[in-house]
Amino acid sequence: MWNKREEEVVRSPAAPPAAVPSAATSERREAAGIGASITIVGDVTGDEDLTILGKVEGKIDLPQHSVTIGQGGRVKADIHAKAVSVAGEVHGNLVASEQIVIRKTATMLGNLSAPRVGLEDGCCFRGSVEMETPAPKGRTALAASPAASAPKPEPAARP
Amino acid sequence: MAWFSGSRAPAEAARPSGLHSQALRALLDGLQAESRPVVLDLGPPVAANITFLSALSCRVRIADLHRSLGAESVESRRPEAVGALLERLLPLAPGERFDALFAWDVFDYMRPDQVSALMTRLAPAFGPQTAVLVLASTEREIPATPLRYRILDPENLACDGPREPRRASPRHAQPDLARMMPGFSVQRSVRLRSGIQEYLFVRGAGEEPVRAGVAGALRGLSPRAPWFRRGRL
Repeated sequence: MWNKREEEVVRSPAAPPAAVPSAATSERREAAGIGASITIVGDVTGDEDLTILGKVEGKIDLPQHSVTIGQGGRVKADIHAKAVSVAGEVHGNLVASEQIVIRKTATMLGNLSAPRVGLEDGCCFRGSVEMETPAPKGRTALAASPAASAPKPEPAARP
Repeated sequence: MAWFSGSRAPAEAARPSGLHSQALRALLDGLQAESRPVVLDLGPPVAANITFLSALSCRVRIADLHRSLGAESVESRRPEAVGALLERLLPLAPGERFDALFAWDVFDYMRPDQVSALMTRLAPAFGPQTAVLVLASTEREIPATPLRYRILDPENLACDGPREPRRASPRHAQPDLARMMPGFSVQRSVRLRSGIQEYLFVRGAGEEPVRAGVAGALRGLSPRAPWFRRGRL
């Protein structure tokens, strides 16, 4: 009997938001998932983070939330989100207001636009990258950093 | 003894993992003259390069050409089909224009007809001063797959990737490259001790004076080291 009661308490976070105290609601981030066996053709919009392990074709628009394409996830869509992480396969253009990360397991064909873009070595990527970089004085000065010049200059022979 | 036996000495076997590139410096100086330069990188995606070039306000397009070509069928890579293949692998948006092209060592892994087809394919996107950085091996053998060149700073590159197994090098000479790249002239050519000949080709530079951009930056570059002057054409 007491077991049943405890189980109910454990389940409560999954209950409708009205059942959860308001303070907890404001801090907790909702997340939705598209499972590996699910295929969606059409537009995806919403008000929570999204993890995709299945297939999506169309358009994904979650400007206030993050979108994660897990390994095995396959997306043929343009994605507009706050942050995008790709470990699966994406054909489409990604626009993020915060950052985009392309994992080493990813296959990404399309253009990336975000203030921060991370590409893990080994990823398969074809497309363009546009980062909005803060440039207080216009451009970064082209100066050879002493620390980076580890490989010593190679004297050349006449060709 | 190693020098009698002809076997490769340990020091020789350990390839240098970095290059000092004056051509890279010149190319980057030229890019700074552009307002929002667009760079086409034929190599694989390298996070450090994208970060570096983005700091120069560049838009970077990654082609990863070797992997893309390798994933295609042998038939589609034949000379008569390579034009259509490149059209599919490198679609050009209307009005798309490249201010610089990082070829790295990718041309060493392409047939001359493929390089020619590539340059023909990209010709509409080249501006009057587009620059191309080419690293061509002068050795008999090269690694079986292209290396990954990582920009450490404007004058230094790190080379990552396996050196073994190896394959025969095409040893593209400058006239060969010039034939494959019509409209481009060599601005810099330096042979590095590692056996790599670095070239900086600039479009139209040999035909008429160019006041700004990459070619202008090249003229302004003061060769500081004697070895650099020797390598200048």
